[in-house]
Amino acid sequence: MTGIRVSGLRKEFAPSGTVAVDGVDLEVPTGAFLVLLGPSGCGKTTTLRMLAGLEDPTGGEIRFGETVVAGAGTVVPPGRRDAGLVFQSYALWPHMTVRANVEWPLTIARMPAAQRRERIAEVLDLLAIGELADRYPGEISGGQQQRVAIARMIAPNPSVLLFDEPLSNLDAKLRAETRTELLRVHRATGATSVFVTHDQIEAMTMATHVALMRDGRVEQFGTPAELLADPATDFVATFMGTPAANVLDAVARDGRLTAGDTDLGAAGAVADGTAVRAMYRPESLRLGTGPGPVLHTVFAEVTPLAGRMVVTGVHGDDRISVVLDERPEATHGDPLPVVLPACPDRVFDAATGRRIAS
Amino acid sequence: MSTTSPGLLGRTVADPVGRLGLAVSAVLAVLVVTPMVGLVASTLRPTGREAWSDVLTGRLSTSLFWEPLGNSLLVGAVTAAGSVLLGGGLAWLVVMTDAPWRKTIALLATVPFALPSFALALAWETVFRNDLVGGRAGVLADLGVAVPDWIAWGPVPVAATLIAHYFSLSFLLAAAALATVNGELMEAAEMTGATRLQVARSITLPVVTPALVSGALLAFAEGVSNFASPALLGLPVRFQTLSTRLYGAITTGQVERGYVLALLLVGVAATILFASNRIVSGRRSFATIGGKGGRRAVIRLGRSRGPLTALAFALCLSTSVLPGLILLASSFARRTNSFTGGFTTHFWVGESDPSIAQGQRGVLLDPLIIDATLTTVGLGLSVAVGATLLGTAVGYVVVRLRGLAPVTGSLTLLSYLPFLIPGIALGAAFIAQFGRPIGPVPALYGTFALLVIAGIAATLPFAAQAGRSAIGQISRDVEEAAVVAGAGLARRGGRIVLPLASRGLLAGASLVFVNIVRDLSLMVLLVTPALPLLSVLTYRYASEGFAQFANAVTVLIVLLSVGATVLARRLEGPNQPWREAAS
Repeated sequence: MTGIRVSGLRKEFAPSGTVAVDGVDLEVPTGAFLVLLGPSGCGKTTTLRMLAGLEDPTGGEIRFGETVVAGAGTVVPPGRRDAGLVFQSYALWPHMTVRANVEWPLTIARMPAAQRRERIAEVLDLLAIGELADRYPGEISGGQQQRVAIARMIAPNPSVLLFDEPLSNLDAKLRAETRTELLRVHRATGATSVFVTHDQIEAMTMATHVALMRDGRVEQFGTPAELLADPATDFVATFMGTPAANVLDAVARDGRLTAGDTDLGAAGAVADGTAVRAMYRPESLRLGTGPGPVLHTVFAEVTPLAGRMVVTGVHGDDRISVVLDERPEATHGDPLPVVLPACPDRVFDAATGRRIAS
Repeated sequence: MSTTSPGLLGRTVADPVGRLGLAVSAVLAVLVVTPMVGLVASTLRPTGREAWSDVLTGRLSTSLFWEPLGNSLLVGAVTAAGSVLLGGGLAWLVVMTDAPWRKTIALLATVPFALPSFALALAWETVFRNDLVGGRAGVLADLGVAVPDWIAWGPVPVAATLIAHYFSLSFLLAAAALATVNGELMEAAEMTGATRLQVARSITLPVVTPALVSGALLAFAEGVSNFASPALLGLPVRFQTLSTRLYGAITTGQVERGYVLALLLVGVAATILFASNRIVSGRRSFATIGGKGGRRAVIRLGRSRGPLTALAFALCLSTSVLPGLILLASSFARRTNSFTGGFTTHFWVGESDPSIAQGQRGVLLDPLIIDATLTTVGLGLSVAVGATLLGTAVGYVVVRLRGLAPVTGSLTLLSYLPFLIPGIALGAAFIAQFGRPIGPVPALYGTFALLVIAGIAATLPFAAQAGRSAIGQISRDVEEAAVVAGAGLARRGGRIVLPLASRGLLAGASLVFVNIVRDLSLMVLLVTPALPLLSVLTYRYASEGFAQFANAVTVLIVLLSVGATVLARRLEGPNQPWREAAS
């Protein structure tokens, strides 16, 4: 079986000089499910395409198991990497039936006909699309096309599965179902998977490992729980979680942190004069006038979520989310005082985004 | 027509767009349906019925119809095969590979289609003509090269010049198809470890097959019905096609036979184009799903990069720049088709000299040519304006009229119909219908009006297509915002639709203009000596052996066409400042 090791990976696009990927390191154990997460343009798809062999890195190294597939003068072509890829557009060959789509890679791999038939039946069965075998891609729904694309990928039994935002063209319900399906396929094959998405919920539900990327770099690499519990930067804090953590701009003065005229508690290790971003989890906040520091926000809206209420107030340019059990009796524009805990959950340096130990 | 049920008529009349639709349908019926009805009716009179049997079964039927039919089909088939091979290959090189100067190749490859098809035939004749039929031989013969008859005359040069013209069209279609193929399709194949050849054969080629097939059939239909090439390179050795037979019949007074041949030609061309439509729409649509499919898989050519690029340039240059230069140079040749006998500007600016070309003056001084130039430009402009207005109206009704399928359906069909009718057959139809007075309408034959009407009818498919796509790009919301503000149909048209669509419409209009300026097959039957057109003069000069004049006038036509295209591109730029903001 094959783990993936990526070190110092870099990709610069030639004429423009754009650096899409800038020194990415990843260590994915065999059989893990890595999610490359991040906003659009962060370099996640380029990283995946380099793993697939569809782009050549301009620096760094990629290893599948012990084999160097890219780096230091060696580039293994995509077809010899023992990897499969599901494209965002699915890229089903429109002139071939479902069966032919799944069969073609096996034919290319010189699998004998009898074995091919057996394997096709097997994967179509696994994806529950056996009855679509003789249809053309244009004749089946988006969700079914998605399954065909997955079947085509796993048919040759690759040890690395790559997914490029495969769920982004599906509606919400189908997306949730397909997540479950994908995990099932992942477990059934035991292959190491890398999955690109900009949706942190997908990351949370599927990943064993998450690499949150931004501007071509990995902002934080860890398990989903680690990223949630221990965000390394304010970017991670505001990207992860439903709802995401609140962040207030504050400054350390005379041993205290203050946001505007609100006192946020002792500054601790933060040096005087440092601009910081104070993070509060929505579940750490409550409504009221005390005891403790109070942030005076203006009520904006309520979003029901899993039986609870996410209440949003506006404070200057910041939006503050509080998770409550009941809908508050407030209407648009009402004052909404929010009680903060004695000290912020996390404090980040506003200049670097890095966490300041407290 | 489409309005037999009172309910439908009522609903149509109640809607302002519906009323516009009815009006446009009526105009189209006059333009398109009546000439065809006239053509059919003329062949049903007793003399016409006789012509049917003459053409199909009579003693002369072999030479009147069957042989020309065979020749037409042969020329069409070779043209189709050659065009697809060359055009498709070139499109692959330009869209899929890392060949250098691909943009230049792409630009050059579109030039031949913009040239009049007789330009290539004239250039061929200038170079390869031999002494088989008398008159001045060509440049090669002048240099002492013995040109075999099969290269100088007949099916080979006819097909070669048509391929040189129509591969350009196949290229455009294939390149467009290749460009829309989602790059991920090829990458998905690459992921399996397939070789480049396997990917090309099993994935890329099948996906673009519909475009190739429709390109082939289009070239086939055009090749079957083209008039200029067989008239210049086939007629002198009695290599007859349906078009030249039809022309010959009408110009020698056997009009009924001509009409019958016109109908048969329409039948053949329409069958081919209809088949093309069926084949293409019958296949599963290979339009690929959105997403990040914009990426193009670039095929590295490696060592074959140089030779393939050179080949592409050779093909493009020999079908665009080279013929142009040959025509230009030979119009300055003192002796016809001779580059060794010295050069002169006589054929451009010379005063009358009884010892040269029966005393004709140079083309720039000849009042006949000046008259023809003015008429040609006037005709081109009139047709461009008329066809664009009509095409815009058709496009507007088809895009905007909701829930009245019979009206929009008949408009679509009527505006597409002339596409199925070869130019020369349409010309015959206009003579059949408008050649004599109908009630209060006097005979239009020999009038400028008839040329304009015929031109509008012939170019309607382009104009309607341009109108449709230009209107289709204007979101319904934009117009509805004006409806909400209280603007009526006329005001919306003037202030919202036309300004927004103007770029597309101008492009369409310039295409129509160029098509008319370089048209020969439609106008060759309609033009009378009192109303000379440049293209028809070229043909007359060429058939009478005045090669320098023919070539000089062709150069004029090419300049007019190119000028119009460039001017249109210039005009459409600065007038729409919001374009930049929006995109």
